[in-house]
Formats: sequence, structure tokens, C-alpha cells
Amino acid sequence: MLIGSSTQPARTPGTATGEHALRMRSVDFSYCSAPDRSKALYSGFELAIAQGSVVALMGTSGCGKSTLAKMMARIIGPTAGRIEWSPQFSKRADVVYMDQHPMNSIFPWQTVRRNLEYPLEKLEWSEPETRARVGYLASLFRLDGVMDALPAQISGGELQRLALARCLSWRPGLVILDEPFSALDRDVKTNIIMALHELATKDGMTVVLITHNVSDALAIGMRYVVIGDRPVRVLSDLEFKSPHPRVRGTLDYDRMEKALVACIREGLV
Amino acid sequence: MQRITRPLRKPTRVLAPIVLLLLAWTAVTGLRLVDPIVLPAPWNVARAVGGMVRERILTDVALTVARVLGALVIAAAVGIPAGLLLGYRRRWYTMFEGPLHALRSIPASALFPLFLIVVGVGESSILALAAYPSLLVILVNTVTGAMLANKRRLYQAKLFELNAYETVTEILFYEALPNIFDGIRTAASYSMVLVIAVEMFVGLDEHGLGRAIYEYQATYRIPQVYAAVIIAGTIGILINLVVNTVQNRMLRWLPNVHE
Repeated sequence: MLIGSSTQPARTPGTATGEHALRMRSVDFSYCSAPDRSKALYSGFELAIAQGSVVALMGTSGCGKSTLAKMMARIIGPTAGRIEWSPQFSKRADVVYMDQHPMNSIFPWQTVRRNLEYPLEKLEWSEPETRARVGYLASLFRLDGVMDALPAQISGGELQRLALARCLSWRPGLVILDEPFSALDRDVKTNIIMALHELATKDGMTVVLITHNVSDALAIGMRYVVIGDRPVRVLSDLEFKSPHPRVRGTLDYDRMEKALVACIREGLV
Repeated sequence: MQRITRPLRKPTRVLAPIVLLLLAWTAVTGLRLVDPIVLPAPWNVARAVGGMVRERILTDVALTVARVLGALVIAAAVGIPAGLLLGYRRRWYTMFEGPLHALRSIPASALFPLFLIVVGVGESSILALAAYPSLLVILVNTVTGAMLANKRRLYQAKLFELNAYETVTEILFYEALPNIFDGIRTAASYSMVLVIAVEMFVGLDEHGLGRAIYEYQATYRIPQVYAAVIIAGTIGILINLVVNTVQNRMLRWLPNVHE
């Protein structure tokens, strides 16, 4: 079954109970070539991510979050061990990675509209489907007013929304977002997070959000994986099922926030 | 003091040095500080232009400009695709890198005799002589640009499973474009220098601005020599202006061009 192809219905979360979007089995990774286990960043690391879940992957800066993200996105391979993706992700584009610089995830020489159309064209969506999808994304991410502008002419917030809209345009099965909101102010962030939540739920995407910002994570996540230490291990793995949008100050929220902050501190290397 | 209004400021800034130079030139010749045979007065040079136009200078200028642009087009048409290909297939570049730099370090003028033997005497050898160093410059700049391409954007080629042709024409070309234009700009002045030099000394035919300069000098028509040199400089400036205009248009999307 081809996921991400336009002719398929969107996945609904929950239907794939027990299926994994991704499973890492005793993964080793080291940036040094020598097989010195004491220097390894990852050694025997295990993690499974259920299909349709929204996972916040957290930890202090420099703890190895981005390395993990790149392994999940098939950009780098583990030194040893195995990473298994869902067999539903048959195309490369079913697993997508977006980093914190929006210019890296778009083509600056294309207009905003072309940027949204291009991936769909390349993935062989039909013209009416492409037009409908681009229109939907433009209104969801509030890009209607800048569709014919070049990326260099729009604001930082609009650029970030464009990058995210483009990454999600073809309904990838697994989206790995590496600090995508780091350069944004609070209001823009809230809007983007709501749009992301809507799309993830509607299209049944699995989202891995890499962040060190607890409030960003609390705004969207269902599961919270805090990593740290060297070699990296999972310090805590929590669930937070409070409905969206979530409000700061409620008992649940505050308890969760406290727990996460404590875990991340503990992971300081 | 009244300030110069905004739209006038830029032309003023551009023209001021030229006016100053003309004034200095007038002063030097007016005061007879230099022998008028060595440096004729500006009005004599200006008057000479009239006679030159009546002779054949416009045909010479047109021919020289056509040769420069022709050489540039050939250089770009070969250099850009070849550069993109070598930038895309790094292994091929490592193979060609040595010979390429060796060729680049040979002065193009030293190759005149060889070109005349290989290509033959005629219009094609003028074009080949001017196009050759331009091609190398454009090629090397294109390769550099392609190698400096944003890795994260190239990741999208893998993501969308693009073939080599799509990757090169839809991503790599744009990534390399700023460097390609650097190459074209340098190549434009190379072409100009070589076309004029070939016209002057190789004597492939009796036409062109270089030939005109040579003949005026040989017949001691010094004001005409100055006039022709100034015309050559102006052509250079105009070609650069055209390249700049095309560049600004094609690189409108570059973030730093905009700010």
C-alpha cells in the first residue's frame, strides 16, 4: 500500500494499533571512526514509535537529539544495529525531515505557490488534487496573501509556515521536525502548532518533534521521550493525553511541565 | 546649502569622477604640460571621432562586440552544462581537476599559434581563441557553485527521487547560479581582452576595433588612438552593465540581493 500517494485515503490514528512507524533496535552511533564504546554517542539504543502518534523528543542541547532525528529520517545510518520503518513507508518521501532553518526546506528561487506545488508534481499528484491541496494548505497556514511572492520577500513567520506546509503537503507518513519553532514568537508559534495538530490528526501522520522547549512540546505532544546521558538512553517516557488546545495553569499541565523539566535537568551531561 | 535631490544622487556619484578626469585632462593639455603628440586635447579626440565614424569605426565596433558576445555565448553554452555535470559527479571532477588547472595556468595568448594551426585562420579561430579561456573560467566557477550547493536542499532530490537531469536542472543549476554569474562577468572581460588582442596582432583579418587601434597607431593618428581606446572601455562597461542587469533579474530570489 502506498502511503503519501494521493489516491489513498488519509490514515486515521488508532486504526493501526500496535503498528510501529519506526523501531530502533540496539542502535550504535559514533561520530569517531574508532570503535571505542566509551566514546559512542549511542550504544544499544532502543526506541519504538507507534503509528499516528505525536512524540516530543526532548533533551538538553548537544545531547544527541539531532543525530537521532537524522537517523530516524534515513539521512545518516547507525554504526551498528537496525532501524525498521513501517512497510507502509515505501517511498522515500514518506519519511521527511525538516530542520530549524526554513530556507533549507524550500527552494528560494520558486514563488510560495510553486514551492507548495513542486513536491506534489514530483510525486505525481493530479492537477486538480494539487490545486485543491495547495489551496487548503495556503489557508490553513495563512499564506493566501503571499502566494506569488518569493521566499526572500516574506516575513520570518511566513517563511516558517511555508517550510512546514511544504513538508506536510504530500501527507508523509512520518514527519521529523527538528526544532522547527525555535525562531518564532509566541503568537506565530501558537498558530503553527494548531495547524500542525490539525494536519497530523486529519492525515494520520506520525510526528516526531525535536525540541528543548517544554511549552512547545506540551502544546502538541501525546508522548514525551526525554533522552540524555552518554551513551544516550531514554531518561523518561511519559504520556500526556489532555485534549487540545491545552492551557497553562491547569493541574495536569503544571504537573507534566514539572516532570519534564526535572527529567531534562537530570540528563545534563 | 541645498542638498542634491535623491534621484539625482546616484548619477552624480557615477559621473563626478569622469567629469573630474576630463577637467584634469583639459587642464594638463591646455597648460601644455605634456606634448600634444603624446596626449592630445580632449576636444581634438572628440573631433577625431567624427572622422572615424565617417570612415568605418562603427562596423569595427559592431564586429568586435559581436565577436565578444559570440565567444561568451559559446563559453557559457559549453561551460555551464559541463560545470554542472562535474559538480554533480564529484568523482569525474577529481579526475579532471588536475588537467583543468594546468590548462588554466597557460596564458591564453601563448596558445595563439597552436590555435591558428588547429582551428585555422579565420573568424572561427578568433572566436575559439576568445571563447577558450572564458569557457575555463565559467566551467570552474560553475563547478565551485555546484559544490557549494545547500546539502539540505539537495536532500530533496533524494526525497522526491529525482533523476540526474531533474536534480541538475531543477536544483543544482539554481544553487550554482550566483557563482555562474561571477564566472560570466570575469569571462566577459577575458573575451574583450582577447578579441582586441587577436584583432591587433594576429592579423587574421583587416577589421575590428583592435585592428583599428593598431592602424591608427601605425599611422600616427594619436587622437584617433585615444578615441578608439575610450570606445573600447565604454564597450566593456556596457557589456558589464548588461551582465549585471541579467544577473539581477535572474537572482531576484537571492535573500541577500533583496535586503
